Amino acid sequence: MNNLYLAAVINTTFRYTTPVLFAALGSLFCTKAAVFNVALEGQLLAASFVAIVANYYTNNVLISLLAGVAAGAFVAWIVAIFQIKWKVRDMVVGTAMNLLVQSVTAFLMQIIYGSRGTVQGFGMVALTKINLSFLKFSPFLYRMFEDLSTIDYLGYIVAVLIFIYFKKTVSGFHHLSVGISGTAADSLGVKSQRIQIRAVVISGILCGFGGVVHAMGNVTVFAENMTSGRGFIAMGAASMAQSHPLVAIGSSLFFGTMLSLSKTLQGYINSYFTEAIPYLCTVLAITVYGVIVTMQKRKPAMKA
Amino acid sequence: MKHITKAYGPLVANDDISLTLNKGEILAVVGENGAGKSTLMKILYGLESADSGEILINGEVRRIRSPYDAIACGIGMVQQHFMLFPPFTAAENIVYGHEPKSRTVFFNRREAVKSVKALCTQYGMYIDPDVKVADCPVGLQQRIEILKVLYQGADIIIFDEPSAVLTPQEVTELLKTIKDLKRAGKSIILITHKLSEVMAVADRVMVMRLGNLIKVMQREETSIEEMSFLMVGHTLKTREIQKIQQGRQILSVEHLTLAGTAGKPVIDDVNINVRGGEIVGIAGVSGNGQSELIQCLTGIRKFQSGRIIINGTDVSNCPVQENRDSGCACIPEDRYFWGNAAEATLVENSIMSHYKKTHLMKHGIFNKKNTCTFANDIMAEFDVRYTSDRQAIQELSGGNVQKLIVAREIMQHSPFLIAAEPTRGIDIGAIDFIHGKLLEKREQGDAILLISSELTEIFALSDRIYVMYEGRIAGEFTREEATIDKVGLLMMGGALDG
Repeated sequence: MNNLYLAAVINTTFRYTTPVLFAALGSLFCTKAAVFNVALEGQLLAASFVAIVANYYTNNVLISLLAGVAAGAFVAWIVAIFQIKWKVRDMVVGTAMNLLVQSVTAFLMQIIYGSRGTVQGFGMVALTKINLSFLKFSPFLYRMFEDLSTIDYLGYIVAVLIFIYFKKTVSGFHHLSVGISGTAADSLGVKSQRIQIRAVVISGILCGFGGVVHAMGNVTVFAENMTSGRGFIAMGAASMAQSHPLVAIGSSLFFGTMLSLSKTLQGYINSYFTEAIPYLCTVLAITVYGVIVTMQKRKPAMKA
Repeated sequence: MKHITKAYGPLVANDDISLTLNKGEILAVVGENGAGKSTLMKILYGLESADSGEILINGEVRRIRSPYDAIACGIGMVQQHFMLFPPFTAAENIVYGHEPKSRTVFFNRREAVKSVKALCTQYGMYIDPDVKVADCPVGLQQRIEILKVLYQGADIIIFDEPSAVLTPQEVTELLKTIKDLKRAGKSIILITHKLSEVMAVADRVMVMRLGNLIKVMQREETSIEEMSFLMVGHTLKTREIQKIQQGRQILSVEHLTLAGTAGKPVIDDVNINVRGGEIVGIAGVSGNGQSELIQCLTGIRKFQSGRIIINGTDVSNCPVQENRDSGCACIPEDRYFWGNAAEATLVENSIMSHYKKTHLMKHGIFNKKNTCTFANDIMAEFDVRYTSDRQAIQELSGGNVQKLIVAREIMQHSPFLIAAEPTRGIDIGAIDFIHGKLLEKREQGDAILLISSELTEIFALSDRIYVMYEGRIAGEFTREEATIDKVGLLMMGGALDG
């Protein structure tokens, strides 16, 4: 493998990381308000699909982006109403929503495009790319950051912003407090339900960005169930990061690397195996994480 | 508060109740569980709304629909279950909801610490603002709760059963704090069923029973006897404990040792024996190994060395079921955590640990009729007050939940019973009832190990007393030898001369 090949792999890693990172941030944002959001996958897929549909009709990047984000937020809002307002179990709402989005997108594809499978072409535009010309001195670095969109960078900025939000703002403080005890928050006049609903909707917006990048970042395309479990991978990334927004960057990059390897290794190893890499790693990582956390928890419990 | 009425369905929790609270006064509201005092306070604090009646503050009618309104009216409440966030610091908890801000969105923690320090000095209640609440003992957590209420600017402070979770030393401290607050011009409502506390601090006493206001009295004009008579509706007789013939050895614990994490054992070479017809008390400040002892005795926790023999069978490190089969029943210390399944019905909770009996279950299928009869019978015998045997146990008051658990465990008719904190946080009537049942069991010749952080309870019931301190048995007394002073000294880690 030469250097540039490595740079290309890293470049793919960044691309694959973005949707996972956004969804992971959405996931931890909910977790911090004591909401377990299982519908990330559906939120991502809805955003991808609606972004492509908007793109198909308008060929406009901004409109597609906004439409995608709105779709993610809308799906999340429905989840919030069911899960938080009407207290339906998280697993039930999440699974139902994921399946619903998957089948509704397939159905609408059939109606709009007359076929299922893949939607591509139609003069659809991709997200605007940023090429860092000052990196031209080094072909390696240039290749590494080649053709990444604004939103790819935005993911890392949002992670830092969320970190600051929790750490420094009053609103973030209330958000965390709801995650610790909703009853206590309510008794002190902080409306926990409202904060939880807001958290889920924001996770939808974040997944919206993730879904849009996923569909319009590299090739502008929508394929049936194209997010293929990235929402679940993101849940893994978030829980591995123990819901810490900055650590989530690291865990998302890890899963991004696995996704990227599964694509780039396809020429060398049996593709059935490479396809399984990200999922195997998710299971592995979560197991290791689970063991570590249990061990940590056991210690103070013994002391008490 | 004038003419407050509140009904839950057919149950009238507050029936036309009026009360006045003067500035700088301590008003005690006493009554048994279910007397309606909590409901009344919830209405005042905006957690419930009254069906009719009105609330006047400084002569003005105020509508209080939420705790937020109550706080705005200068009413604060120190709740029985603390409304604190354990991972946050004391200062963060105190300023919660009214955080000092910088540039409108940011939480100015430095300012928060400063105002908390100022508040501490103003009221002479000291805490470290940077300490995490999770690391604070209960007494300190309560102090944080009180400071929080003060920070919110409350002039009227409601204390809901404030001493239920405290050690005797912390209670003394608390009563002093309450008096200090009164001196600072605050008006205080103290909800309690510990009448000695009422006598120690209150100016006036209001007695409630079954949703009705029975009587309001000046403290000087009443006595503990009169109050308890008014609360319960009949006099409680003081019990004479008959000396009875003791039977054979039922429990013996030999050299029991349970390792802790920091190298220091949690239970350190403990020897205990209990004979039939004997109640043996274990006194100690909670957290000195009593909980772990119960867990070892019942088989929940495995220990490293020593032996536990129950009713002639060695049950060391045996599973819970074998333990119970050997003749051990247990009233657990925390009725919510260990003692019941909150969402399960009264019937389901009643038959736990009984369900294997053949008249209740055959071939893995419950006999519905018999389980209901069984549950209703034991609940009737133990005076559990409920509306339907299908209701979830979490709808009952603490005293009734406890009576159900006591009923369930006593009805095992086991030769050995562990009674851990059997009356924590429940009212006098229920305490008296449970004590009676425990003594009845003793008279039947069974052995009871009573573990309680309530010294009066230990003294009221025990034939013999062990004192536990830092995982060791610090001393052993017979009923005749024991005095509160001696036991109290050992509980605090002191040593007796000679």
